Parts: sequence; C-alpha cells; structure tokens
Amino acid sequence: MAALETPQSSTLRQAFGNVLSVFILLLIGILAFSIRLFSVIKYESVIHEFDPYFNYRVTQFLTKNGIYDFWNWFDDRTWYPLGRVIGGTVYPGLTLTAGTLWRILNSLNIPLSVETVCVFTAPIFSAFASWAAYLLTKEVKGVGAGLTAAALLAMVPSYISRSVAGSYDNEAVAIFALIFTFYLYIKALNTGSLFYATLNAISYFYMVCSWGGYTFIINLIPMHVLLCIVTGRYSSRLYIAYAPLVVLGTLLASLVPVVGFNAVMTSEHFASFLVFIIIHVVALVYYIKGILSPQMFKVAVTLVVSIGLIVCGAVLAVLIAMVASSPTKGWSGRSLSLLDPTYASKYIPIIASVSEHQPPTWPSYFMDINVLAFLVPAGIIACFLPLSDASSFAVLYIVTSVYFSGVMVRLMLVLAPAACIMSGIALSEAFGVFTRSIKFQLPGVTQNSPVNAGDTGNVMQNDVVKTEKSEDSLKERPSRKNKKKEKDNVERASVVPKTEKRLSVLPLEASVIAIFLLVLLGAFYVVHCVWAAAEAYSAPSIVLTSRSHDGLHVFDDFREAYGWLRHNTEVDDKVASWWDYGYQTTAMANRTVIVDNNTWNNTHIATVGTAMSSPEKAAWEIFNSLDVKYVLVVFGGLVGYPSDDINKFLWMVRIGGGVFPHIKEPDYLRDGQYRIDSQATPTMLNSLMYKLSYYRFVETDGKGFDRVRNTEIGKKYFKLTHFEEVFTTHHWMVRIYKLKPPKNRIRGKTKKAKSKASSKRSGTLKNNPWH
Amino acid sequence: MAIFPNLTTAVPLLLLFIFSLLTPHASTLSDDSIVSELSALQSQSSTGVIHLNDPLLRRILSLPTPRPFDFLIFFDAQQLHSKAELSLPTLKSEFSLVSSSFYTNHPDEKSLLFFFDIEFQESQSSFALFAVNSLPHIRLIPPSAIDLKKDSIQMDASDFSRLAESMAEFIESRTKLSVGPVHRPPIVSKKQIAFIAVAILIWTPFFLKKLIAGNTFLHDKNIWMAGAIFVYFFSVSGAMFNIIRKMPMFLADRNDPSKLVFFYQGSGMQLGAEGFAVGFLYTIVGLLLAFVTHLLIRVKNRTAQRVTMIIVLFVSFWAVKKVVFLDNWKTGYGIHAYWPSSWQ
Repeated sequence: MAALETPQSSTLRQAFGNVLSVFILLLIGILAFSIRLFSVIKYESVIHEFDPYFNYRVTQFLTKNGIYDFWNWFDDRTWYPLGRVIGGTVYPGLTLTAGTLWRILNSLNIPLSVETVCVFTAPIFSAFASWAAYLLTKEVKGVGAGLTAAALLAMVPSYISRSVAGSYDNEAVAIFALIFTFYLYIKALNTGSLFYATLNAISYFYMVCSWGGYTFIINLIPMHVLLCIVTGRYSSRLYIAYAPLVVLGTLLASLVPVVGFNAVMTSEHFASFLVFIIIHVVALVYYIKGILSPQMFKVAVTLVVSIGLIVCGAVLAVLIAMVASSPTKGWSGRSLSLLDPTYASKYIPIIASVSEHQPPTWPSYFMDINVLAFLVPAGIIACFLPLSDASSFAVLYIVTSVYFSGVMVRLMLVLAPAACIMSGIALSEAFGVFTRSIKFQLPGVTQNSPVNAGDTGNVMQNDVVKTEKSEDSLKERPSRKNKKKEKDNVERASVVPKTEKRLSVLPLEASVIAIFLLVLLGAFYVVHCVWAAAEAYSAPSIVLTSRSHDGLHVFDDFREAYGWLRHNTEVDDKVASWWDYGYQTTAMANRTVIVDNNTWNNTHIATVGTAMSSPEKAAWEIFNSLDVKYVLVVFGGLVGYPSDDINKFLWMVRIGGGVFPHIKEPDYLRDGQYRIDSQATPTMLNSLMYKLSYYRFVETDGKGFDRVRNTEIGKKYFKLTHFEEVFTTHHWMVRIYKLKPPKNRIRGKTKKAKSKASSKRSGTLKNNPWH
Repeated sequence: MAIFPNLTTAVPLLLLFIFSLLTPHASTLSDDSIVSELSALQSQSSTGVIHLNDPLLRRILSLPTPRPFDFLIFFDAQQLHSKAELSLPTLKSEFSLVSSSFYTNHPDEKSLLFFFDIEFQESQSSFALFAVNSLPHIRLIPPSAIDLKKDSIQMDASDFSRLAESMAEFIESRTKLSVGPVHRPPIVSKKQIAFIAVAILIWTPFFLKKLIAGNTFLHDKNIWMAGAIFVYFFSVSGAMFNIIRKMPMFLADRNDPSKLVFFYQGSGMQLGAEGFAVGFLYTIVGLLLAFVTHLLIRVKNRTAQRVTMIIVLFVSFWAVKKVVFLDNWKTGYGIHAYWPSSWQ
C-alpha cells in the first residue's frame, strides 16, 4: 500500500512528521523545565549554594546600576583589604543573560523580582539546551536520533544537578552555549555556509562570556579539524567552518575582560592557531593539486612539504619558546591537571581540596548518566557506520569528554550532552531496526505476499529513504552552490549500505522482546532521573531538611546567622570565615569578607587558614591585623551536618601550611589520623577552629558528643580569652564570635582607650537592643 | 649495580678501619679529620650517599656534641627489597636523588649535611642503637643530638609520601639548610632524545607522503573505533581514580585474611578489579546492541539470528541488572518511582 503512495501523500506525511517533531520538541522543553522545579516545590524559590549567591549579587548590581557600572565595578566588600575588580574577573554571560531577561519581562509589564528571574534562568536554558541537542544530533544522524537525544538530555541527572531552579550558575547557560556552538560548527561543516560559520563564532563568543570551559571548544574543534585532515577528509567546507571561528572567535573572545589577551597568550589556545596554520598549508596543497597534472604534483609535493615543514617548525619553535618561558608552561592549574591527572593532588592543594575536582568512581557514572553508560558504545559504533565529518566530531566529543570526566567529576557535566547524543543515536538505530523487523514480518503482511514480504518492504523503505534524501538535498542545495564531488561521494556511500540493510530484518519475536527491554531500560532511566532530580540534586544547601521518625526537620540556620549579621553589626564590619561562606556572607549579610569562593589569592586564603589553625592569641593577632570584627564558623556536631568547618579543617591546615611553613599538618594528626577526641594532639585542641567550634558545646548534652565524628570531644571545658561568643544559631550550625578589644597596657593612655571602647560598645548597643 | 658502590666504598672503609685500629684513641681525633674523611667518602659515591657501618657510626658519634654537620640515615635491608608494599628500592633511589640534588645545588655546603645508608645485615647494632624495628625508616640526626633515640628526628610516612620533594621539605623544615630543586634524571637521556628527534624528522616526510596518498593506519576506521571504545571503557571503569589514588586491584578481607575483597562498599572509593568489572559491564551492553543492529542483521540464517539474539538479550539484561544491583549495594541509594498514592 505504501508503494502506491502519491507524491502528494508523501509530502503530507512529511508535513505531519514535521508538526509532530515540533510538538515533541515543545513537550521536551516543558519536560526539561518542569523536572527542574522540584527544588522550588520541595523547598522554596531560593538561590542555591555558594557561587549562585555571588552571581545573584552581581545581577542585582547590574539591574540596579546598569551595564557600564557593572563593567567597571570594583567591589570593596570582599577580599578585604585587597578588594576585587568584579567587572574584569567575572564571566559576564550569565549575569547579562538574566539581566536582559529581567529587563525584557519588565518592559512587558511582568514585574518579576530579580531573584525570581535568577532562580528560573537555569531551567529555561536547559530547555534551550535540549533543543540545541536535537539540532546537533539531527545534523549527525537525522531527526529520529535528534529527538531521542533531546529527550534524554532534558532529564540527564548530571545536567540536572547543575541546573535545577535556583542553581544560578555559569554552567546552566554554558551547556546550552556549548551544544549550540557545536551544532553551528557541524552545520557550517555540513553546508559549507559562511553564514553558519559566522554564527558559530558569535555563539562561541557567548560561550566565552559564560564559562571558563570554553577552552574545551577551542581545543576540541581544532582537534577535529586536524583529525579530518589527517584522515584525508579535508574539504573547503572544513576550511569555511574552521577559519572564521579562529579569526572572529579569537577577536571576540579577547573582548571579554576576564579572557582578554589570554585568548592569544596562553597555551590553551595555541592548538587552534597551530591547526589554523596547518589547514592553510593543506588548503594550499589541495589547491596546487587541483591546478597541476599528477606528474607535476608529485614534484610540487616535495617542495610544498619541505617548505610547510620549515614554516611549521619555525612556528612550533616560537610556541615552545613562549610556553617554556612561563613557569606553568602557560597552562592554568586546572587544565594541567587534566593532562597530567596527578598534577593537582601533588602541587595545588586549593584545587585538590574541592570535592568536585576529584576523580569519579564507577557509581558516579551510574548516578550521573545512568543507563546512558550502557548505550554510548553502541552510539560510538553507529557513528562509524558510516563515518562522516559530523559523526567523527561526535565521536571525538564523547571520547575527550569521557576522558576528562574520568579525571574530574565536575566535567561529567560536559560528558552528559555527548552521552545523550550517543545514546540518542544508539537508541534510534536500535528502534529503527527492531520496529522495521516487526513491521515487515507481522502476520498480516506475510499472509498477503509470503514470498515477497521482504521485497515490498524494501521497495517502500527505499521510497521513504529517497524522499528523506531528496528533502535533505533540497534543503541544502542553495548553500551548496560550489558542488563538492567528495560530499556527493560520501552521501552516495551512505545511501548504498542503507538500501542493502533494508533487505535484512531480525526475527520477529526476538525483536519484540528487544523493544520491550529497551523500553524497560528507558523507563528505568526516567524513574532514575526523576528520583535524582527530586531527592539528590534539589537541596538548596542553604536550607537543610532531615526526615526522622517524628517528621520533617528544617534547618534554616544559615539564613538565621546571615540575617543576624545583617541586622546587628555595623555596615562596614569585616567578617572572617573559611572561603566557602564568603559569597553567601556578602550577598545575604551584606558584610565585608576577607576571602570568598573566588579563590584567586592563595596567600590570602592561607592567611585565614593559618589563623584558624593557630592558637587563640596568634589567631587574634592575624585577624586584628586584617581589621576583622567577627569570625564565623560552621559547626555540624550538634545536628550531624557533615560538611562543617571541622571536617574542612585539614584543608585549612594544608593550605595555610603551604604558605606559612610553621603550620605543619602532622601536628594536627595523631599517628596520621585526624581526630578531635581525647587522643587529639595539643595543637589540634588549642587551635582556634577547635575552640570556636566546641566552645560551650558540653553544655548541650553534658558529654560533648559530636554527632558527625561520632566521638566525645577531647577538651570540654575551656574559656576563650581573645574572642567572645555573640551569636549561635538555633541548631548551633553557625556560630559567630567577636574579637575582644585589645587589652590596655599603658597606664597613661588608659582613659583614652577606655572611653573609646565604651563609645564603641554604646554604638553596638544602639544597633542591637538584645545584646 | 649494587655491588659497585659497595666495592668502591669498601676499600677506603677498610683503610679507615685499619687506621682506627692503629690509633687507639679514635675519639681524640679532631672534627676536621672525620669531616674530611666523610667528604672523601662522599665524593667517591656517585650520588653522595655514604654507606654507613657500625664502626663508622661509632666514630661519628664520638665527636663532641654540637657536631659540625647534620646527617640523615636511610635504614635499608636487602632482604625486604622484594616486598612491594614497603617500596624500599624506590625510597632509596629517591633518597639518593635528594642527596645528589643537595650537593649539586650547594657545592659549598657539602660538609654541612651528610646522607648515609645503612644495611641491616651488616650493622644490626646500629639499628638497635636507634631502636629501629620497622622499615621504611629515615632519620635525621641534628648536630646537638646525644641520645640517639630521643634527639634524632624520624621522617614520618607523610614526609616521604611525595618522594624526593617531600623529603627535601622535611630537611628544610628541620634543619637550616635548603635542598633546593630536586634534579630528577630525565626519563629519556639526551642522546635518546636526539635519536628520537632525528628519527621523527626522517620519518615525517615519508609519513606525510603516505598521508597524502591516503593509506596509513590512521585511515583505518576500525582502529579509531577500537580506540574510542577503549577510552570509553577506561574512563567509565574509573581507572583514572585508581591511578590517582593508587588503589590496589583487591584487598584482603580484614576478618578473614585468606579471602579477597574485590568490591568495596561505599561510593567514595573503589578497587581496581571492581572498576574494570563494572566498566566491562557498561561497555558490553552497548557493544552487543551495536552487534545486533549492525552485524547480526546481515546474517541470512534465521535460526542463527534467533539464537544469537536471545543470548545477546539475556546477557544485556543480566549486565544491566547486575550493575543496578551493585550500584544499589554500593551507594545505598533507594531509587524509587513516584506512583500516585491511590495506586498503593
């Protein structure tokens, strides 16, 4: 019956298919958006964690003061007394995006607060990201694979973890930019259109604005170009896709203040320039090959190769000289630890200390990409059968990203889109084969024409394939004015095996079982993703909950503490804490901090680490020299909150000891073990962190039992000499101490000092009637 | 290798010994003579590490206490070199690396810090003197040390965990001397580098010619495919974790040492064998799926197709089930669906 189809009905089918695709994509977008709302439903519409608070604060500044003030913003409320040039050190993409969104909404008379816009930016952009994944996969393997990949990406847990509502961080928009840049590159490569190449450079610019991970793009695309050249796939389309990206992309990238001249000065970008030279040499070779006879060409090859080698050698020498002149060989620590995975753990404790820079174990893969881990190999193989420029790029993407994710668990985020694309291809191919097998072996069909069953199926399928193809080529024709012989060859090559394959089918009942199992696998994926979104990744970490037999407990201590600081301290008071809480303190308490999560100055952080590891008096001196008024520690011993400062303390010691050698890690360890019970070392028990965490702790239960470390603490009764407790939150999770004023030593000046002190005290009294 | 330094140091040691016999009051010897002897011994050793024995140690200790130098002793035992978990040979070579780096960095401070190694078989009384009963053991003896057990400083395990670099840090923190950068011998010598460079230079034009002609192993897509699958397998098995954390392939059971533990419960850690096993399971399902969709479909024989497919489906189902089970066991997560409450 299909063979009788008129052209009209086939176009109708096409149109129907397109409408259906659009509808599916719409649903996928809704799915991507709504699966990320668990955090709002379960908790509240609130910004999450640490970095998002900084981004939120910057966005507030942007919406209030406009773009020029934002660009020139020098923030004196962090990194006291150094300050920080925010405009020049921040990736502005996310902030500008949310700011623009807010402005548009306001101009449409939709009065949303900046916070609401910030909370929902990430879910909106994950919908965009899944659409971008559809486009990219469609370029690689067609519409079916594209839709599957988009659906998978909409709910891949790894991406959900960074883009739930409230997780207002760079990655949320950067993943969209990453996929979209890749799509435009592939599109430019497939069509050879300069339009897409230019768009690609602009999209790359957006990526550079958004995330430091843009170096992945500017290394992956040159790698792919090189791969294409080496495997003999050079074409003018490749040149068109690549050269504008390097030229325009680099120019645009250096417009972003935080990148600036890094775009041409650091080794991370050198690969692209090297490949840029190589592609020109190769282009020249192909050009000469075109105008010369084969005989002459052989002579010319020797000439060109030798000249090309000399040029490459010279450039390489310059590059090596430039690289060698810088101590880290021009690579940032994070990139170096990707190339040499053991690098960070050896030399940079501040990078090694962050849990998301650790290498993952196998359960992380199951948690973050779930059943996709099973499907990816099938996708890789499908990309090789047949191999095209686009599919080779997809393979390169998955291979590099899977390697990087193996080094740093954080880069699982880059792997997730690749895994979705690969699994989308694999699933779509598998479904294609199995449904075909069922369709042409259904009892009804075989009864009608038992002998020719396969053949009729074949004819019909060919028809469909042809229409698909013709439509494809129709689409591409305008942009493919300069006919490329190679491309036609490639296409023909890809059509031929398809027609062969159509002949062959798998046994009916086995196919049915296989489809059933694949659907089961997909269902399991959905269940897992929804569970991960709801349970694992939606906690805002600023509000904590715990479920016990007597119901739900909510720990809102952080906001309580920051609120206290905001209302009870002077505007210009300085608050010292470990760097994790810097962003939150500036954003929520609006107080100046010494260090924050932008760990740009290791020495400064080491100073705070040293103070926390020192005995009270030495710590007081350090803090006093930094004008610190209040010290904030996070303590989980009462409620069993494991990521508190005592558990982070060894890193403070390590980072402090890295700069100030009198702090030595072994002094805090008893026989190499970190403990806070009666076996703890005296240095540990006398350190400021121990004292501030456990001060008066014994009064809670009479024993001083720490629920995180599961021991009784070593030193229970002690007094503070240089600090006084001013506030402890409801569950003791945040404790705030004030530095005592210095003792007066000189008799003659007693009066003066006293009057000063009393006037200060009265000042605080006015502000704080309860204190 | 090990015999040579012994022989070269043995002769002067013998001489020294005779010399000390001839002079009955060895303790009256001036500091200078011992220091110069040690310097002589030091210059004979290629790395600057002096082989210590009981008489020599006794003579050094007989010096009046603030001695003019610090010294480090590496306690060695040939019989334990075969035990991999102690990694004595590595530590010893790292120790000599620190020594040679120190002497090249500070040629004028050669007599302020001496490096010794001492062998358990021949100098058991010295081991007893320091009360050393477990290896690896490295000890720093400051100039003022009188009671060897109390006054000398033992290098902690953390101080040689990062090999030569951390040893150098230890020395810097405990003495007033700085070792400076550690000069590791490059993995390939300069001659080898030159040879490789020349070889590459000669090979490049030939390779380029082949490349343009379009027949190298690089044009064989099966190699690329195998490589890609391998990298995937390598990464998802968490092999990088095993490399960075230096995880063993398996552990001995604590309760029953004869049993081996291959799977570690707790998501923060994994063992080598465990990672590869699960990585294999991850990979095999995809490979089988690809096999069915691309290869099996071309087989003409219906029965063969049917049998193979049943096997493939069974294996895949088993692999997925196994991984799900292992993951639930390892992480302790209870993944569950959210059914409408009226269904329950």
